[in-house]
Amino acid sequence: MAIIQKLITLVRGTATEAGQAIVDVNALKILDQEIRDADSALVSSRTDLTRLMAERKITGDKSNDKQAKLTEYNQYIRQLLDKGDQALALEVAGKVAALENEIAADKATLAGMDANVTKLQGSIRQAQATIDQLKRQVDTVKATASVQRAQEAISSTTSGSNVKLHTALDSLKRIEEQQAFKGAQIEAANQLEAQGTDGDLQQRLRDAGVLPGATAADDVLARFKKTDS
Amino acid sequence: MSQQWSIESLFRALQESEFGRTGHVSFQIHEGVEPVLLIEMHELGDLPMHLVATGGEVHVSATLCHASQVKDRNAFNDACLRLNTIYPLSNIGITTVDDEDVYIVFGQLSSLAPLPNVIEEIIVLGHNTIQAASELTTHLH
Repeated sequence: MAIIQKLITLVRGTATEAGQAIVDVNALKILDQEIRDADSALVSSRTDLTRLMAERKITGDKSNDKQAKLTEYNQYIRQLLDKGDQALALEVAGKVAALENEIAADKATLAGMDANVTKLQGSIRQAQATIDQLKRQVDTVKATASVQRAQEAISSTTSGSNVKLHTALDSLKRIEEQQAFKGAQIEAANQLEAQGTDGDLQQRLRDAGVLPGATAADDVLARFKKTDS
Repeated sequence: MSQQWSIESLFRALQESEFGRTGHVSFQIHEGVEPVLLIEMHELGDLPMHLVATGGEVHVSATLCHASQVKDRNAFNDACLRLNTIYPLSNIGITTVDDEDVYIVFGQLSSLAPLPNVIEEIIVLGHNTIQAASELTTHLH
């Protein structure tokens, strides 16, 4: 794309970050120039179109006049032949032949003009679309520049020279810390609950088979074994 | 809806919205030639986001990281381009702040977009940014 090419040409040969600054400074200038160019192309296309349409109308009208005259002359020839005036009829026929040739030439001219009108209308639409697109790019460049200025202002007010802009990494770290903290909280709460209800001791007693009910199955089996024997 | 957003009208609308009243997010206008709306996503580790309304568009962005934090710029750029394709409503790009390259995640909407679309953009962009940061940590110091 042309603008990118211009920016690249501008940046070529400069260090990346200096290059970026040049892009920022010049992007608006370049876009502004592109819009002006597209706009003057649009204006001249519109002027051309108006002129061409006027010419087409004049040529069309003239050709219609010729057509009317042709019809008229054809009637004369018929009348003259009816009257037997061969000489005058021939003279008029000469005019008819010339008119027919002119009308055929006009048709070709008009077709060419119509094609050019269509072409110009196309380039006007194209120029308009280009301008709209460039204006959207200007909006984007301006938005980016505004955000940059705001970020620079914020980083200079909230920090000394060493503190940097708050990034997603800082937030990610904070989220992880919060999650770790929440995890620790849940674990601590579980431990507290376990201690509060003697859950831990109960479990150990159950494991040791001391707790009533824990060995109920064995007791039942033992009972069967007693009755069997 | 054919209302064209300005920072002020968007600020008011966001504050009054259900999203704004949850307490998970706060908004503040930073005045300047072009005012910027600062958004702090409390649920996302206070992720700061910036919103600008210029001409025909609303532009939302968040700072991913500083170029100086990246171990290998080429590898990181490659990873960013690959990630870019899987994040909806967001793009990853480079800008400069205080003469330093900074990676940003950003998205754009028409300034005629209805409020729910703007809110969706903010939320999705915030989550994408945190997810990208998490995916890319191996590339960072």
